[in-house]
Amino acid sequence: MTLDFDEGDELRDLRAAVADLAGRYGHRWFLEQARTGGTVQELWAEAGKAGFLGVNLPEEHGGGGGGMVELAVVLEELGAAGCPLLMMVVSPAICGTVIARYGTPDQRDRWLPGIADGTLTMAFAITEPDAGSNSHEITTTARREGDGWVLSGQKIWISGVDVADAVLVVARLADAGKGTLRPALFVVPTGAPGLSRTQIPMELVSPDNQFQLFLDDVVLPADALVGSPDAGIAQLFAGLNPERVMGAAYSLGTARLALDRAAAYARDRRVWGTPIGAHQGVSHPLAAAQVEVELARLMMLKAAWLIDSGQDAGTAANSAKYAAAEAVVHAVDAAVQTHGGSGLSQENGIGALVTASRFSRIAPVSREMVLNFVAQHDLRLPRSY
Amino acid sequence: MNIVVLVKQVPDSGTERQLDSSDNTVARASADNVINEMDEYAIEEALTVKESQGGEVTVLTVGPDGATDAIRKALSMGADKAVHVSDEAIHGSCAVQTSAVIAAALSQLEYDLVICGAESTDGRVSVMPALLSERLGIPHLSGARKLTVDGSTLKVERQTDGGFWALEAQTPAIVSTWDTINEPRYPSFKGIMAAKKKPVETKSLADLGVDAGTVGLATATSQVLDFAGRPPKGEGVKVTDEGDGAEKLVGFLASQKLV
Ligand SMILES: Cc1cc2nc3c(=O)[nH]c(=O)nc-3n(C[C@H](O)[C@H](O)[C@H](O)COP(=O)(O)OP(=O)(O)OC[C@H]3O[C@@H](n4cnc5c(N)ncnc54)[C@H](O)[C@@H]3O)c2cc1C
Ligand SMILES: Cc1cc2nc3c(=O)[nH]c(=O)nc-3n(C[C@H](O)[C@H](O)[C@H](O)COP(=O)(O)OP(=O)(O)OC[C@H]3O[C@@H](n4cnc5c(N)ncnc54)[C@H](O)[C@@H]3O)c2cc1C
Repeated sequence: MTLDFDEGDELRDLRAAVADLAGRYGHRWFLEQARTGGTVQELWAEAGKAGFLGVNLPEEHGGGGGGMVELAVVLEELGAAGCPLLMMVVSPAICGTVIARYGTPDQRDRWLPGIADGTLTMAFAITEPDAGSNSHEITTTARREGDGWVLSGQKIWISGVDVADAVLVVARLADAGKGTLRPALFVVPTGAPGLSRTQIPMELVSPDNQFQLFLDDVVLPADALVGSPDAGIAQLFAGLNPERVMGAAYSLGTARLALDRAAAYARDRRVWGTPIGAHQGVSHPLAAAQVEVELARLMMLKAAWLIDSGQDAGTAANSAKYAAAEAVVHAVDAAVQTHGGSGLSQENGIGALVTASRFSRIAPVSREMVLNFVAQHDLRLPRSY
Repeated sequence: MNIVVLVKQVPDSGTERQLDSSDNTVARASADNVINEMDEYAIEEALTVKESQGGEVTVLTVGPDGATDAIRKALSMGADKAVHVSDEAIHGSCAVQTSAVIAAALSQLEYDLVICGAESTDGRVSVMPALLSERLGIPHLSGARKLTVDGSTLKVERQTDGGFWALEAQTPAIVSTWDTINEPRYPSFKGIMAAKKKPVETKSLADLGVDAGTVGLATATSQVLDFAGRPPKGEGVKVTDEGDGAEKLVGFLASQKLV
């Protein structure tokens, strides 16, 4: 029997190094960027240079040669220090994974080194206004023209297009007709003629922005299509489990930040003689969230490990994403409550986590869609939709 | 230029630290042990010198087996190799004894420059570089806030309360650094992965030719006879403003020698 939960020296050292870097920026800096229209580019560039953003990508393409375990740990630590880098969920985890596995040699050479060292950011666009969670219904269409392709359609809630060099767009192939989706993935440079965007004002206190994208007969060369036209479904599956693991990492980092801050406050703050942490009304919600965080982290690491060892990670990745989202919602709720009035002050910054924590329940896949998946796949219940 | 950095593992100064009540030595086994903070600046300085002058950086640590964590951190920051002196007999050694062990280890290495932190957060004796300078017969440029290397000439700005002294010496020499000298780097992912493959040589007292009877608690030149916990923070002073609040505040600050 060799079941070993020890993370080992290298992962511990990676956690410490990322925490050291992120601690030089911190939550205050992150909120300052969010509130003044700034960006996280400075931290992004530094993390990229240190090799933290591309830990999961192959060494021959400038990556670290590790896997999703390492990448998830990086994002978790950035979040715990108050500066989660949302585009990690997309650029190295989805786009990097898909291109590394399914891209042509030329595509790998062209895109991966930049994704790995952070000098190039790739956004990811699947969600559409009329399809929502039902991605089978996407209507963004790619039609062949000469050697190349022409894309038209709309996307919504797409993160980080303003800082991205290109967007990995999920479209359907025109000749496949309507009905069951035959998706294909295209790399669309953000400067491509016919591609335009509108920023969506969000209630999130975050330097990362969301956009609606309009693809108006965007002309692309033949090699904009990732890999072969028949591999679209496999590519999507390869990208989406890493996305879920990173969604979990994002949530867990924020949950740890909230619990750290709340516990420190509850050890110190006295209004009835004893520290408020001595009241179970304060300590129990924090303790319950702490349990949820630990459980979600185990599942996140398991899912990442399954992906890295080439096994089916669907249920684990979905479960991790679900559990981490619940954990962060509960952790932030308890942390705000613990802080009393100051939990809602701008100066404190904990209140800013409320919408961020709720976003974890919705994206990249909603809580309900995860439960649909588990009901159908693990409990073999009838498909409900 | 061959550089040796002295690195010590200490109980994290940010946590509550204990002495072991059985022999009044620093409780290391139960502590959250980290690299001595000031040593990270020494490592950074050594790496910076190496980057401009070429050469090799060797980490030298005297400490128990668990000190490998501190060594790995230094290697992951970019040092090339390490020597770890580990021997049960060293337990409880005073600064004078420890300096004999370090000097013996150094004399088995080739070095132009030895760099160490100006103090460690556990003992805070702050005499190690001076003791080594005496034992090895090399100049000691102490308390550096700036180091410049020009061929075999070392120039140091020695930090003092009122300003700085300009010191100069030829290699080989030992330089001790304050935390004003640089900003230590964090390890990169490649650095972390490379650290495990870098050579770490473990040496016993016998390997160094040091007689075990000359080190350790029994023959230490100084010993902790007794200790007591830090007294709890007392009540603060409350100044009631009766028109003379500012005067009283300044009076208090002056009495604490703060203004
Ligand atoms: C901050 C943010 C960033 C995002 N970034 C990106 C990005 O970079 N790229 C990208 O492609 N997308 C992105 N998204 C989109 C995100 O993936 C979607 O918002 C998410 O998949 C939900 O889709 P929807 O918003 O259309 O909700 P809908 O699909 O309209 O769902 C609305 C509600 O109905 C529920 N529901 C829907 N179907 C069912 C069902 N069958 N059974 C039970 N309940 C159901 C949902 O769970 C949800 O609660 C982002 C979203 C946010 C909020
Ligand atoms: C938007 C806003 C408007 C406000 N407007 C006003 C106003 O107009 N006038 C005014 O006077 N005040 C106002 N307040 C102050 C508000 O009444 C206090 O914030 C509230 O009473 C909590 O006090 P506190 O913030 O000091 O939290 P604390 O008393 O420090 O409590 C912190 C946490 O500890 C818990 N706790 C404390 N004691 C115990 C215990 N014995 N057992 C279990 N749990 C305990 C609390 O429930 C809370 O979760 C306002 C606050 C806000 C946020």
